Amino acid sequence: MAPISLEKIEAIAPDQASLVAARKLVKPAGWSGVAGDDAGLIWGECQGSGSSPYRVVVSEADAGYQCTCPSRKFPCKHSLALMWMRAEGKIPFGLAPSPAWVLDWVRRRRPSASAASVKEEAASEPRSLARAATEPAEPIDAKAEARALAARERSRQEREEAVLAGLEDLDRWLLDQIDAGLAGFAAHAGKSCRSIAQRLVDRKAPGLASRLDSLPSRIYSLPEHLRSTVALEQLGQLHLLAEAYRRQESLGAGLRADVRREVGWTQSRESLLTEEGALCAAGDWRVVGALSEVQPDRLRRLETWLWRESPGEGPEVAVLLDFIPVASGQTRGAYRTGERMTATLAFYPSARPMRALIKEVKVPAALDEGLLGPSRRDLSGTLAEYEEALSHIPWTHTWPMRFDKARVRRTGESLFLCSRDDGRVALPLLGTQTERIRPLLALEEIDGFGLWDGYWFRLCLAQTPLGRWVSE
Amino acid sequence: MRAEELKSHILPILLAGTRRESSDRLMALGASRENAVLNALSLAGQSLRFTRPPIPSQLAVESWPRDERRIVPDPLRPLLFRLLDRSTDNTARAVALALDSRKLRLHPFDLPKLDGFARRYSELLGATAQYWVRRETPARAARGYFEADELTDETWSEGELRARVKFLKALRKREPEGARTLLEKSWPRENPESRLQLLATIETSLSLEDRPFLESIQKDRAPRVRSIAQRLVAILSGTSGDHPAIRACMERLEKTQSGLFKKKTRLKLELPATVKEHETNRWIEEKFSEVSLDGLASGCEMPVAGLLEAAEEDENLLFALALISSREGRVDLLGAITDLLPDAWARMSTLNWENGLERGLDERADWARALVKPGRWLPEVPFPAWSWLHRQMEGPLPEKIMSEILDSRVWKEPIEAGKTGGSELVQVICALCPRELRERVRADLAPVEVERRDKGWMLLEILDTLEGLR
Repeated sequence: MAPISLEKIEAIAPDQASLVAARKLVKPAGWSGVAGDDAGLIWGECQGSGSSPYRVVVSEADAGYQCTCPSRKFPCKHSLALMWMRAEGKIPFGLAPSPAWVLDWVRRRRPSASAASVKEEAASEPRSLARAATEPAEPIDAKAEARALAARERSRQEREEAVLAGLEDLDRWLLDQIDAGLAGFAAHAGKSCRSIAQRLVDRKAPGLASRLDSLPSRIYSLPEHLRSTVALEQLGQLHLLAEAYRRQESLGAGLRADVRREVGWTQSRESLLTEEGALCAAGDWRVVGALSEVQPDRLRRLETWLWRESPGEGPEVAVLLDFIPVASGQTRGAYRTGERMTATLAFYPSARPMRALIKEVKVPAALDEGLLGPSRRDLSGTLAEYEEALSHIPWTHTWPMRFDKARVRRTGESLFLCSRDDGRVALPLLGTQTERIRPLLALEEIDGFGLWDGYWFRLCLAQTPLGRWVSE
Repeated sequence: MRAEELKSHILPILLAGTRRESSDRLMALGASRENAVLNALSLAGQSLRFTRPPIPSQLAVESWPRDERRIVPDPLRPLLFRLLDRSTDNTARAVALALDSRKLRLHPFDLPKLDGFARRYSELLGATAQYWVRRETPARAARGYFEADELTDETWSEGELRARVKFLKALRKREPEGARTLLEKSWPRENPESRLQLLATIETSLSLEDRPFLESIQKDRAPRVRSIAQRLVAILSGTSGDHPAIRACMERLEKTQSGLFKKKTRLKLELPATVKEHETNRWIEEKFSEVSLDGLASGCEMPVAGLLEAAEEDENLLFALALISSREGRVDLLGAITDLLPDAWARMSTLNWENGLERGLDERADWARALVKPGRWLPEVPFPAWSWLHRQMEGPLPEKIMSEILDSRVWKEPIEAGKTGGSELVQVICALCPRELRERVRADLAPVEVERRDKGWMLLEILDTLEGLR
């Protein structure tokens, strides 16, 4: 496992002050139990201002980290210092079996990794039939298991019924809105959406509730003349979802999974990573976009968009999603736009698989100045792909677009991403990006990656004659 | 039902409200009214989603200026972000000056992130940065984008004011008449600040040829412009002692004789009773802003050298003379004044007073040698005075002065172990440090806590890298 690089540490540090603080901890004094394993985990205990030392663990594979200090910065100076010591290589990290607190973190963090690690640990122990005979086997209470299974099934049934009742509520609410006329919906969208969203939460359909909760802000982000038609589009999608849910038995497996996920059913990371036959794609993945947005439920949504640059089977685009409490203070994920890694991803089932988890990392993410692999599509082509996806999954929200041969143009203060050759497409660029994107106006042609939500294009990365432009 | 029909017939119904709606087209979309309305909503909504965004009828043509400067090397870009994030103004200025001297420019993609830096130092950062900071300026009000050394007789009025002043002053030295003609032509289009600074260049190689022009602007709308024009005319007519500003100063000067055997003339500056102690420097600056050394000497009926001797017991008058001699570039006299008034530069630093934008590096170094004498005095409250000094120098201090500063307790005490703060002082000293002494500063800073030395250290690294670029 390649050690984490200094550039990577610099990139993930929340600010300069954290680096300065970490630098002071990059010395053996103050640290104890600094060690690592051959699977890319390093750990140590750092004596801070508290009575007991802070326990720090870092996963080199994906720059994941955990520290017991109360800092509100992520990564904290202790995590940065541990990475730094590892990157500099001046302090030896002895090979040692992972302590329980490290294993515990790994287990909670990524079950597959913990499973692998625990398996390896088990494999390293000497096998002994005699010991197996003497060790008491854990008794299995078949009745208790059956009771638990029945309880889970009962709970699932109850939730199904609650969701269906919630969809009835949604239908009634939609009819009320349409009866009153959607031209005036934007005026009372906040209060109105909040009330139905709360009802849907009670009816155990948090996915739909979340859509409704974010609807007002989405509408208000648009020019006034578009708001009523956009409200109509969004409410129409809610009804489509409700209908699809009621008829899910007639849908294909992928689309059914999409519908259930949109309504609020979740599949655990553990089950996806251990699922036999889950769609996987291995290759060289480029981080082409990293988003960090606060949701109405006070969770921060971290999106990491990946583009597969090596040929192979499976999806070319993937998105890793993480949700963290806003109160934690963390504002960025572990990956930076432009990084590249070799990994196997497992995809959640979908008619258009895109959301994924990292199953295995062969080469950890590191900044790579190489050019993006060609997409072979211009902007018109990628827009056509979006429209095709829309016909399969009508409630598609954000669609990734990897494009070649485009250019940024301006009219007034609005910027547009235009197709270079035919001029048949001009996608309005997100207003909040205007200043950052403005230097691209000077260029005749860019390749890149961005996200289109039907109204705004969010440019994430551009490959230009002047080098790489990233939105972060 | 086709998408167009949905848009033309169903959409207006959904927007207006369906409470009393019983249109056949709408009802045909479902088995019941509720069903039909909800289906209509989904179908109309989905048809809208396939509508591509309209293409604007006109897209603006961007004409970014030609910029011959090289872009800062990629490895330096993240370092610059880190350095300029919450750094002092001195650090930012030192970087801008280094970029200018190496004819480097910021990467265009970095301009949004370094917008504040680009705005403050656009004239040192090349045409692209100038274009960037003026992007909101209406096209008709925008000037061209030129390097100071690219200006010609034809383009000089298009450059930044600072570059124009520099150009005009240099031209004035070579061709006084040509420079004045250029100024005369552009005069009606200049704003008061430009008029003030451009007119000051006429003092270089002043001659009787300039008199008609100077007389023509005696009624300028800006009082300070009028005052400069009157002073210059007075110099030309040999009646500088009659200038109103000098008369006003003379009313405040008390001239006495002292000594038993050899009578010595003494001058004393009487401050008005309404001027409080903290207002003294400002009052002196304002009072003497339009006064020349020659004019003052003439008003006092003594030679210029005699002024100093007569004023040696009055610190306020010495300060006034320091200001005037500084402004006129009389470093010989300034050096003599600071022997008597070594804290003159700290007093200057409390004012908005500027040393003169158009001075060359050598002139600034001579000025610093005359003004700053670390062996005699260094400021007790360090940072603002140092910061001012860097602003005036626009570059490093002469090696000897800096070496004395580095030997002084003013530098050594704040960076002692166990002390807190001092990052600002470290930055300004690093910004003022000439290349030859950087290793010494690094050696001094090595034992200092990282957060106190970090920015200064990084500045030295970046300056070294920039200066080492080929």
